[in-house]
Amino acid sequence: MSIGLLARALMMSTPLLYGSISEVFAERSGVMVTAIEGIFLIGAWAGFAGTYLSGSLFIGILCAMLAGVLTAALYGWITIYLKQHQVVTGTAINILMLGFCAFFQRVIFGVPTIPLTVKPLPVIPIPFLSKIPWIGQLFFTQNILTYLMYVIVPISYFVLYKTSIGLTIRSTGENPEAVDVAGINVEKIRFSMVLIAGVMGGIAGAFYSIGYLGMFATNIIGGRGWIAFAICFLGNWNPKGAFIGTLIFGLAEALAIYMQSIGGNGLFPNELFIALPYILTIVLTISRKSYNVPAKLGVPYKKEE
Amino acid sequence: MNEQFRDLLLTTLLAVLFGLIFSGLMLLFLDKNPIEAFGILFSSLFRDKYTFGDIFVKATPLIFTGLSFAFTYKANLFNIGAQGQFYIGSVISAAVSLSLQDEMPGALALIIVFILTVIGGGIWGGFVGYVKARFKTNEFLVSMMSTYVALNIMDYLLRTVLKETKGEYPQTDSLSKAVWLPKLVQGTRLHWGFVIAVAAAIGIWILLYKTSLGFRIRAVGFNPEAARMSGINAKKLYIITFFISGALAAVAGFTEVNGMQHMLVQGFNPNVGSEGLGIAILANANPIGIIFAAILFGILRTGGLIMSQMANVPSSIIELMQGFVMIFVILSYFVRSKLEIKREKSKLQKVAGI
Amino acid sequence: MNKDWRRHDYGAASLIKNGRMMNTPFFELRNITKYFSQVIANKDVSFPIFRGEVLALLGENGAGKSTAMKILYGLYKADSGDILMNGEKKRIHSPKDAMALGISMIQQHFSLVPAHTVTENIILGNVHGRIDWKAHEQEILELAHQHGFNIMPDKLVRDLAVGMQQKVEILKALYQNTHLLIMDEPTAVLTPQEAEVLMQFVRGFTANGNSVIFITHKLKEVMDVADRIIVMRNGIVSGDLKRAETNERELSRLMIGREIIANDEGNRRQPSKDSDVRLVLDGVSIEEHGQVPKLKGISFSIHRGEIFGVAGVSGNGQQELCEVICGAIKPTSGRIYVDEKDITEKEIRDRIEIGIGYVPSDRHKDGMVMDMTLAENMMLKTSSDKKWQRNGFLDKRELDAYTEAAIKSYDIKAPGPNAVVKGLSGGNQQKVIVAREVNTGTSIIVFDQPTRGLDLGAIDYVHKTILAEREKGKSILLISTELSEIFALADRYTVLYKGETQGIYNRSELTTEEIGLLMAGYGLERSSGNE
Repeated sequence: MSIGLLARALMMSTPLLYGSISEVFAERSGVMVTAIEGIFLIGAWAGFAGTYLSGSLFIGILCAMLAGVLTAALYGWITIYLKQHQVVTGTAINILMLGFCAFFQRVIFGVPTIPLTVKPLPVIPIPFLSKIPWIGQLFFTQNILTYLMYVIVPISYFVLYKTSIGLTIRSTGENPEAVDVAGINVEKIRFSMVLIAGVMGGIAGAFYSIGYLGMFATNIIGGRGWIAFAICFLGNWNPKGAFIGTLIFGLAEALAIYMQSIGGNGLFPNELFIALPYILTIVLTISRKSYNVPAKLGVPYKKEE
Repeated sequence: MNEQFRDLLLTTLLAVLFGLIFSGLMLLFLDKNPIEAFGILFSSLFRDKYTFGDIFVKATPLIFTGLSFAFTYKANLFNIGAQGQFYIGSVISAAVSLSLQDEMPGALALIIVFILTVIGGGIWGGFVGYVKARFKTNEFLVSMMSTYVALNIMDYLLRTVLKETKGEYPQTDSLSKAVWLPKLVQGTRLHWGFVIAVAAAIGIWILLYKTSLGFRIRAVGFNPEAARMSGINAKKLYIITFFISGALAAVAGFTEVNGMQHMLVQGFNPNVGSEGLGIAILANANPIGIIFAAILFGILRTGGLIMSQMANVPSSIIELMQGFVMIFVILSYFVRSKLEIKREKSKLQKVAGI
Repeated sequence: MNKDWRRHDYGAASLIKNGRMMNTPFFELRNITKYFSQVIANKDVSFPIFRGEVLALLGENGAGKSTAMKILYGLYKADSGDILMNGEKKRIHSPKDAMALGISMIQQHFSLVPAHTVTENIILGNVHGRIDWKAHEQEILELAHQHGFNIMPDKLVRDLAVGMQQKVEILKALYQNTHLLIMDEPTAVLTPQEAEVLMQFVRGFTANGNSVIFITHKLKEVMDVADRIIVMRNGIVSGDLKRAETNERELSRLMIGREIIANDEGNRRQPSKDSDVRLVLDGVSIEEHGQVPKLKGISFSIHRGEIFGVAGVSGNGQQELCEVICGAIKPTSGRIYVDEKDITEKEIRDRIEIGIGYVPSDRHKDGMVMDMTLAENMMLKTSSDKKWQRNGFLDKRELDAYTEAAIKSYDIKAPGPNAVVKGLSGGNQQKVIVAREVNTGTSIIVFDQPTRGLDLGAIDYVHKTILAEREKGKSILLISTELSEIFALADRYTVLYKGETQGIYNRSELTTEEIGLLMAGYGLERSSGNE
């Protein structure tokens, strides 16, 4: 039973990883994507709508990516090019997405008598490897998005620390003037990172609707976009740290679902388990002593008066 | 100065207009006539005093949550936990009201409920300020997460201790009339909570601009280093600011529970926190501006609800309107700053004889 | 337009002067004009730069020198005018364009990433794809060796001394194959000896046919090293001269528009020998475990009515010295006394009440709140004082009256007490701070780089104020990297090097060269060698 729990935890950490790693790249370049909750939400909705209408999960994921990137583009345009406040703009977009998704769910599907569902992402056991005792069930009996996660983490690490573009991204968040003076367009770098966050955030959101639950509801994300945001912070803006963070939170979530299902209500109330990831975030945020915050995180780059 | 104020009014009005236009365009997807629908929205606002009064009823908690965000914003702090502080305030209001309502005169009970709500919300919010002062914690994350914790505390209590005696739904018993906030205007739902809200806004304005505490808060918000060098203790201010901010959001719970709902229901007013943030933005964190921005959001919500009932438009139109209006207001900030720069440059060129 | 100040004939096709080919200029600015929202930064700025030439761009702060160079480097876009290279018009819309033409610029505030290593900083923007860290480190070591720089590629920039950081900037430019190197106030952060090393590099660099433009306001530097000098004043070019054909007097006249008289302090009251000691620092140190000590065994005292100077290159403990006296940092050992009372443990708040005033070097960060009004800034240190309160609320009338008085007596050019400080010029902003601190500092005033970035008029004003406060019997600590300022004002002074004082001297006790040695950490007894 416990391996099943761990496997479930790994699955639950997938969307958090997509979200937090893209947030790492964006924040390393100096931009906090505070619209992340909204991006997750529209990813979830577009993924569901796309899948339901086309019958194909693949199309659904593409729709989610498209919706995510468009939303991120709006956010990036306002915060990077128009240089407006990141918290304020993110909040506006999050509210807008709430309305947008609920509204267009109505537009496309009306008011259904029974909830609409799709078949979620199938589990694809990898031949041979999935037969290995314990490890096979844990790592090699997952869905495609989770498998991609295994590749995304090392690639992210490599790009960030061992390539020229990674050096540029990191420098942009620390001292955009140095990058500007070196002849690189600061805004282009930041905007690209935000767009990537849009693509990955869209996929992350879609995971909840078409990868796991098989349906859509406006409260499906419930703050998990923010948890991905927090993980970037707690993971010290490092892909490795983000990965570890998502594993911890994935475990917390899987545990919560498990405790609820076995009716652990006797000992601890359900609500405690639901609140667990959030309490965990608070505790970890308080106890973290030192951070490598990118020096110019959140500050729009202005050149002339 | 006059030019800038004119710009402010003009661009804000245009922003609201564009926001509504875009929302209206979305209605076309439902084969609805936006002009007709918005016509219904605006005309129905004035059809009777009940509906008109509802605008201010809806605005009341928003004034408080808007003030809550704006107050910490002045200190360059981010209180994203207003929704949670609102829940805590609601829980305290409901619980204390229910336990005191038969024990003492209503007015006295109300005062005690109010005080306890202020203290409770203040402590819940003040905790964030405390960890920021003591551990240099990022208050954005902690305050945001605290909302979800508060939500679960409320859900738990509603399921157990506070649950109605009937035991059917996750909600409390109704409050007895003794502890209802008295009505302001008969024939409406408008209650004294609105007056308290406006008084709070004025009070916060006076605090910020006419007292030395407010001065110190603003100084820390603008330039914490210079403030420190001037002997201002930022840490103490973090705690005070978050306490006041949390208390403000909590009082929104008091006015909602004792003034409007007269009970505590699970999942009520799930957006007052973020709407308050939006209102603070609209009003550029000015306490008096927040009153007007809250009334605007009250109009959108009341009108939106009617529109959804009468024109068969989904209620999510409300969030669409709010979201679009907020985006356009942000764009208007940009437009205003560009106008300002252009104006200065052309003044200069005139002087230089170009 | 008065053309008699032009000493060159640009019409000649080829002239050989000083062994360098004088043909088409390497680069040329023509009629460059630039506006910012409050000021005309450049108006019809035109001048050429020739190959193999060291060109000095001279002018007061705010004359428009940095702006013109930032336009040449593509950081700013001119509102009108052209840039030419070898006679052809070129479009320089970004540093990328400038670098493609072989131009590099080293700004006053270095464009380095403090959290990254030397290697990471140098190769930023100059590499593609996968990075072979080892190979690049090797390249950098060789390049550094070639030019006589001693650099460790894997050190973090924020751990390097400022002079070393400048070398990293220069290496970065060399790595990019620069042929025109622009340097903005390069010697501001160097000791006299380090400045000499820099000048040697400049001479070697230009001997190979490259060109250097350096922006400065220091007349002496210009006369030492420049081949040609462009003088700017209020956004226009007021002079274009060869060094051999001019002198300091003429240059300063072109810089300011009038003759300046060497700073004459007039009658000075000698501090009497038995004048009371007011401020005493006894063995003050700030030494964190495992880190380089910021201050080490600082001991000196300041009498009433005395100006005590602290010379030295920035970054040798000046900031920490100020902060330990005004209470922002507590020393790890040692005591501080004011009028024989131990104030070592007292907070900033208390020290303000004792009467310690502080004019910080970073006035925008530590000294004022840019978005607040003049009046609010005047109240910054005394906001909870009874004098501003009436029935618990702020007494605006009282504050405005007080501020008006300050505006008058300090001749601050501002619309009124409710003008936002952000809109004032640097000189007027500093006057606001000085006005406030002179009132706060009833017994002691600490001035840290008080005239940096100010025009000559404001500098004069600040100096007069410092002397006036001395007359009133206050104890003044004056920290400055400008030796001329120390010489003009201080009664006694010390030199700070790596957090330690290098002796205490009377006004005219040492020569510039001797002070230079102290600033670089060489004791006076030794003629060469290490600390």
